[in-house]
Amino acid sequence: MEVRRWIEGDETAKEMLERVFTQRSSLALPPPLHRIPLRSGDVVEIAGPSPSAKTQILLQAAVSCVLPKEWKGTYYGGLGQTVLYIDLDSKFDVHRLLQMLKHRIVGANGHSSSGCDEEIINMCMKRFFYTCCYDSFELLATLKTLHYRLQRENLALENHGHVIMMDSIGAFHWMDRACTSFVLEGYNRKSISFQNVMVIVVGELRKLLSVHSMVVICTKTANLGNYVDDRNFGKRSAPDNPDSLRDIGNGRRPVFREYMPSIWQSLVTHRIFVQALGDQVAVRKHRDGMVYSLEWSLPCLSFSDKFVVTDAGIALV
Amino acid sequence: MAPLRSLEKDYPLIDADFQGFCASHGILTVEDLLIHDLHALLAKADHLPRPERFRQAVNQVLCIVDGLHRPWLNGIELLRRTSDFNRVLSTGCGGVDSLLNGGLQEGQVTELAGPSSSGKTQFCLLAASTVAAMHLCCVMYLDTGNSFSSKRVAHFVSRVLGTTSEEDNSRSFQQAMSRILCCAVFDIFSMFALLHQLEAKLKSQVRGSVGVVRLLIIDSISSLISPILSGSGSQGRALMISAGALLKKLANEYNIAVAVINHTVGGENGFPKPALGETWKTIPHVRLMLSHDFGSKACHVSILKHISLRLESALFQAPGASTRFVIE
Repeated sequence: MEVRRWIEGDETAKEMLERVFTQRSSLALPPPLHRIPLRSGDVVEIAGPSPSAKTQILLQAAVSCVLPKEWKGTYYGGLGQTVLYIDLDSKFDVHRLLQMLKHRIVGANGHSSSGCDEEIINMCMKRFFYTCCYDSFELLATLKTLHYRLQRENLALENHGHVIMMDSIGAFHWMDRACTSFVLEGYNRKSISFQNVMVIVVGELRKLLSVHSMVVICTKTANLGNYVDDRNFGKRSAPDNPDSLRDIGNGRRPVFREYMPSIWQSLVTHRIFVQALGDQVAVRKHRDGMVYSLEWSLPCLSFSDKFVVTDAGIALV
Repeated sequence: MAPLRSLEKDYPLIDADFQGFCASHGILTVEDLLIHDLHALLAKADHLPRPERFRQAVNQVLCIVDGLHRPWLNGIELLRRTSDFNRVLSTGCGGVDSLLNGGLQEGQVTELAGPSSSGKTQFCLLAASTVAAMHLCCVMYLDTGNSFSSKRVAHFVSRVLGTTSEEDNSRSFQQAMSRILCCAVFDIFSMFALLHQLEAKLKSQVRGSVGVVRLLIIDSISSLISPILSGSGSQGRALMISAGALLKKLANEYNIAVAVINHTVGGENGFPKPALGETWKTIPHVRLMLSHDFGSKACHVSILKHISLRLESALFQAPGASTRFVIE
């Protein structure tokens, strides 16, 4: 009996494809992350110097993820996923998230009606989970227990996808680097170094990505090095120079030092680089404020998007 | 760093066999377990006499680990938590208050950078006096350069309290002055010690009662950190980031406003830029740049970075999101 069941198989190919496409569907995120659709299992790294609106991009993506696609007849265009926000930088402002969510809802409805809005806001905020970590141990503890937590919750909620957002993956990098020099007593003990911490973080993320239908979006602070001019080889200038920032669109590429270990770099499937533009022309045209530029470096797209941060979120220019 | 053997009393599953197996793999404390791959460990334990018991012990440790991190809050709980507490503390300086939408925000770290004699210390003294006199809460003032002047604070406090009856005035004056706690720190390690003491005190204080610490001012943090920052070594930068992380934790967990003072160094094209380098830039939530107008008493302040307000101009030019003010 059991042998017969084993030969007959669990499901047909058609059933398997149907299951995979519904459970592991692709995510289309709002601008400025709209150029490349993401599939579950993708890890996106948004790198940029400080300040470059990286946290705002995460919040914009979070709003799109928690909104439902359609609710009570109105089309919101959201993704209906749960967002797990791990804040390593303590920069999260829940009121800003609420402000962006309200703008989206009012925009979709065309007007604002408080009763309906309350309901959908509550539903969306219930899909957003937040935790804060102040050192690497707390981060490791969070990731190790996340799998069990998700298993417990999946039994209660309907089975939809998750998005893990980590703000500033390199936040504890300097502290862990200094810990490497601590001498631990005992034989065969692993030292608490940045490399070891990252190995476990990557291992836990890989396990989560393989078991659950999930996308990971992280921000990373990039420390700018010197600019290398593609046209005039050898001419360099420091990153704080307003002239050099102006030349970004003119063929000068920024070079920044990669401090994340190779195990992390091998986990990342998509890379984005964001920075603020000091261009005078751009500022005069857009009184909303500072213009930022966003470039996909993996997969490499040859153009860059420009955006500004408004009350409603992020708007492309 | 709890060693595993100290957990045996409360959790009998973590017995000597479990500890011995872990010790053979170099795991002596709970933190060691965090940097090991638990699944690989479980696979290796299959040849032990009682693997089921080992699995239960690992589950027990995972429950302990679950208590080591902050709990997951959903959006509704977050809103409830922050709406009760987050307030804006007015600094007493109208120009800066209007720039920052009301004043120093509780739960955020605000950095004020400026060249020497641009009014940074005066601003700190004014903010401390205003918060103590108007908001009726304690202020912790860490002074690194012996620039705290109680006479100046007295002048500001009496100005804030205004002209009321003589008796009332002196009583509230005394109370306001006693709410400002000034400590002198001259190196980063004593600052860490003080901040840890403050954390212990904040953990025990009851929210909403009068006399809780709501503002922490460090004048100036750059004089504590600059001596230890060197180009090649990572120890200085690690201490700086740890200090920044501790300040953000104090602000976030215990809902206080933190204001730190930074000095400036020469940047490109003669524009001064804040000291402490690129790595420090990620720590403060709000960064302000102060400068003194030549020949007049007015100070000029502009926003370099703000997490919720929009930056209104290019990073390095003076105009845009700025204002002038005078401190009498």
